[in-house]
Amino acid sequence: MTLRFDKLGVVIAAIVAYAAFAAPFATFRANRIVPGQARSILEALPATTGTLLLAIIVVAALIALFRTPLALRLAASVVALAALALLIGVAGTFLTPAGNTFARISPASGFWILIFAFTLLLADVLTRLNLSPLARVGVLVAVSAAIGLLLISGSWNDLSILKEYANRADSFWAEGSKHVTLALGSLAAAVIVGLPLGILCHRVERLRAGVLNVLNIIQTIPSIALFGLLIAPLGWVATHVPGAAALGIRGIGTAPAFVALFLYSLLPVVANTVVGLAGVPRAANDAARGMGMTDRQRLFGVEFPLAFPVILTGIRIVLVQNIGLATIAALIGGGGFGVFVFQGVGQTAMDLVLLGAVPTVALAFAAAIILDAVIEMTATKRRVETA
Amino acid sequence: MIEIEGITKRYDATTVVDDVSMVIEPRTVCVIVGTSGSGKTTLLRMINRLVEPTSGIIKLDGADNRSLPGYELRRSIGYAIQGHGLFPHRTVAQNIATVPVLLGWDKARIKARVDELMTLYQLDPEAFGPRYPHELSGGQQQRVGVARALAAEPNVLLMDEPFGALDPIIRTKAQEDLLAIQKRFGTTIILVTHDMEEAVHMGDKIAVMDAGKLVQYAKPAEILAKPASAFVETLVGASERPFRLLSLGRVRDAVEKGSAEGEAIPGDASQRDALAELLWSGRPALPVKGADGKPLGRVTVDGLVKRAARPA
Repeated sequence: MTLRFDKLGVVIAAIVAYAAFAAPFATFRANRIVPGQARSILEALPATTGTLLLAIIVVAALIALFRTPLALRLAASVVALAALALLIGVAGTFLTPAGNTFARISPASGFWILIFAFTLLLADVLTRLNLSPLARVGVLVAVSAAIGLLLISGSWNDLSILKEYANRADSFWAEGSKHVTLALGSLAAAVIVGLPLGILCHRVERLRAGVLNVLNIIQTIPSIALFGLLIAPLGWVATHVPGAAALGIRGIGTAPAFVALFLYSLLPVVANTVVGLAGVPRAANDAARGMGMTDRQRLFGVEFPLAFPVILTGIRIVLVQNIGLATIAALIGGGGFGVFVFQGVGQTAMDLVLLGAVPTVALAFAAAIILDAVIEMTATKRRVETA
Repeated sequence: MIEIEGITKRYDATTVVDDVSMVIEPRTVCVIVGTSGSGKTTLLRMINRLVEPTSGIIKLDGADNRSLPGYELRRSIGYAIQGHGLFPHRTVAQNIATVPVLLGWDKARIKARVDELMTLYQLDPEAFGPRYPHELSGGQQQRVGVARALAAEPNVLLMDEPFGALDPIIRTKAQEDLLAIQKRFGTTIILVTHDMEEAVHMGDKIAVMDAGKLVQYAKPAEILAKPASAFVETLVGASERPFRLLSLGRVRDAVEKGSAEGEAIPGDASQRDALAELLWSGRPALPVKGADGKPLGRVTVDGLVKRAARPA
């Protein structure tokens, strides 16, 4: 039997070799803002555990390097990721001097690169396995459950990011729910307004270019500038429209953040509605009219179901974009995970930045996987005519 | 009966259909032929008011077709188009049930009708009913398209190049099926095509259109024998004319007394097929047999050649 190299495996193995032997695994800092000192895998872990982790990493990298059965590659990536996740917690405990509450241990570049490399391997295996949409959501749930268990078990409690969390547990969940409300609420508003607007643009050709151009221009306004532009009109509304202030509408805060996210969301929703409706086969539309469907029956019975996967793609873009963009709402007092990011930047406390950034990325990632699965499930039945 | 009286359609300055009048007898097949841009499709679409005429009246069984809202009128008229226009997100059974559902038939009646039509079109309702259009072959999709058009038992069926996307073999089969079903239900069919062969084969009467005008409206034999203009003559095709004329007649009608050697040809075959067989096999005569297999006589090259000549 001859061993042959796997193309992607060569890249993964090279990344792993660098990260495992040349890059620091963990960073030790005497307190949360001083510069850290790098620790390699063998320095960060008890001798036997460190050697074991290195062995696991090397074997997994070798499995990735050569052309090996998919099941083996899957096992290698899962075992390596699990070992890394468990042992970074052990490193936290091991490196913290007994009784010291100021010292901060955080994962360093080597750890993050290793996670990246083995996630790449896992993603490659999952792509090649060609999982069904439901199975992909299943994988997402399993991974989330595993991370949840690690968090609850407390094995990561000695890591810096969780120490930051421990100091802010209450506000973390409050800001988190604000973040999700902002992202989902503005999405819902954009769908409620954008769908009819898209349908209108599809029906009335003269309107199409104008509306899409305006939305395009809005999309290019930098978010901070848009907040600035919104202060004056929303302030005016708050003072002149009765009841507006009571609803929380002010020049700064949640209202302008919501409006900005809503405006950014409109373009993908409207554009995809227009494209989706334009993609409905002409013959199907003509047949629908010829058989006596009213305009409304045609819209809901033929055009809309056929355009639905494309519209959903637009909604997916908006949701992922909004979860990310909602971070900057914190700039104008709108709340959300961005609060931790900006506090962290202000205090040069990178762990605090991560406390805001990691959940945001995780949320966006999960939303993308779930919506992709939904899109694929709706699209399989609605394939375009072949004749 | 469909009466088209002085129908004109103008888009801005261009006249697409120009003062067309014609009467289509019930339970017949009327084929509208013409080159592209001749206005034939527009004329067809004015019958079920997918296009509203600029002036003129169309009466269906004596009633102006504007006496109902457009969508209600269209539910009572069958409509089949090129590329079938099936709904890709609905199953075959749901596609066929479209108009009955719009009309609010009860479930049992819809299912009975769908099963009847699918069986008629040699599609097993159990096997094909739950499938999606993209899982069917081109010929099957076309059959579903016509079955859908016939679902609500319309008296009139409009067809816009319904066989345009089919290969020649499946097309011939589809034409035969349609004629058989037309006889069975007594449907009045108005079919648009640019294929003269199809027109001669299918039509009880042929309407030739050119640049929006109705140039000639007559039985196929008359169109072939006495083309009203140079345009019609070109459309008929001078070199094809005698063979098209023969294709209108059955062998049964050309039988002479006597006998001949070789395999017999059925009396139902067209005279054109008989001549082709004679020329190909190099024989002067062929025996003819009836539907029961009994010999009827023979057809001869000389006899057929006389029939292919320009009628007096």
